[in-house]
Amino acid sequence: MDDTQARKFQKDLNGGLVALVLLGVLGHTSEDLYGYEIAKRLQKANRGEALFKEGTVYPVLRALAAQGLLTSRVVPSYAGPARRYYRITDEGRAMLAQWSEIWRQTRGFVDRFIEGTDA
Amino acid sequence: MNAPRSIDEYLKQLRRALADQDAALIQDALYDAEEYLRAEVAAHPDKSESDVLELIASTYGAPEEVAAAYRDTEAKVRAALKSPGAKVTAKSTALTRFFGVYLDPRAYSSLFFMLLTLATGIVYFTFVVAGLSLSAGFAILIIGVPFFLVFIGIARVIALGEGRLLEAITGERMPRRPLHPGPAASWWARILEMLKDLRTWTTLAYLLVMLPLGIIYFTVAVTGLAISATFIGTPLLLLGQHLGWVHWDFTNDVTLFNGVGSAWSMEHPVFSSTLLFVAGLIILTLLMHLARALIRGHARLAKSLLVVPGA
Repeated sequence: MDDTQARKFQKDLNGGLVALVLLGVLGHTSEDLYGYEIAKRLQKANRGEALFKEGTVYPVLRALAAQGLLTSRVVPSYAGPARRYYRITDEGRAMLAQWSEIWRQTRGFVDRFIEGTDA
Repeated sequence: MNAPRSIDEYLKQLRRALADQDAALIQDALYDAEEYLRAEVAAHPDKSESDVLELIASTYGAPEEVAAAYRDTEAKVRAALKSPGAKVTAKSTALTRFFGVYLDPRAYSSLFFMLLTLATGIVYFTFVVAGLSLSAGFAILIIGVPFFLVFIGIARVIALGEGRLLEAITGERMPRRPLHPGPAASWWARILEMLKDLRTWTTLAYLLVMLPLGIIYFTVAVTGLAISATFIGTPLLLLGQHLGWVHWDFTNDVTLFNGVGSAWSMEHPVFSSTLLFVAGLIILTLLMHLARALIRGHARLAKSLLVVPGA
């Protein structure tokens, strides 16, 4: 199996999924999270093997905040630069519900063909 | 490119990979990477910095990968956030372009910014002059050092806020994160670093120069608005009086109208009023154009002084 092709396919898939996953993480927690924490949660959820590089989490977080789906606040830290904590907005929750529905439909549709139940 | 073995090396490689990008984007990307890397190193106290960095390529991503992620996301965000601006679609004649400025929200916000700069300029100027002279005065006392650090810290926060405001008004990309002071170091090391950092001084210079600029911007805006309001308003008042809607004895109390009511304009009241009205409209439109262009230039000046130039 060609590894670079597999990676490229994964990367193409991740395009919108990273944003959906981030909204999901922040939508199902009551606390504010900062970038490193979110990246570690994702890594842990997949038994240490993240589906995407943690470095891609940060620009997407900033993009979601710029679109008003997340709000953020800066808290000083002893370990290094001040941390930016993110929280989901009402607009973000509405978007999460909508995107989740699209994802469920897409997943169901794709599964029907790759599992051969409807060919 | 060799795999980075230290945080500084990683940040240097990331900066190189983003060299063609906007300075503000680079500042954000370096900030995010440093937050992650320092947290990761702190989370593994049993390993050395170079051991942690060895694994970074498989977790956070190699500098080139991370740079690519920022480039992609930036392009998408820019497309999504782009202000529609003035829509000059159907007939792009010189006339529609000239008056199209009224449809551009940036022209209004620029005009507002010009009025605002007098107030912010006074505040910034006072802040810098007071801060610098108190720092010099306190230098021999024990509170001198923390005072200077706090002063520079506040100046950086002001610089960030000013950048965000100008990005909202002009669309010029500015940093979304403050420049952080770097790893924990002794008071003296920090002070020396601040004194050596060229940007500390350019930031203070920007805050100082905001006062004279603010005075100029404010004067231009107020003068332009007053002249055009008078020119547009006078004919309307005269018309109102002619139609009997306004009852105002112009001859006695309003000196301005004495000038307008010269012998020539008395003989040609309709023509002179129309002329005045049109002149007022043109002056107002020119002012809007001027405001938009001036503040766009101002944003570039702010960027060159407040944002780290690509090293």
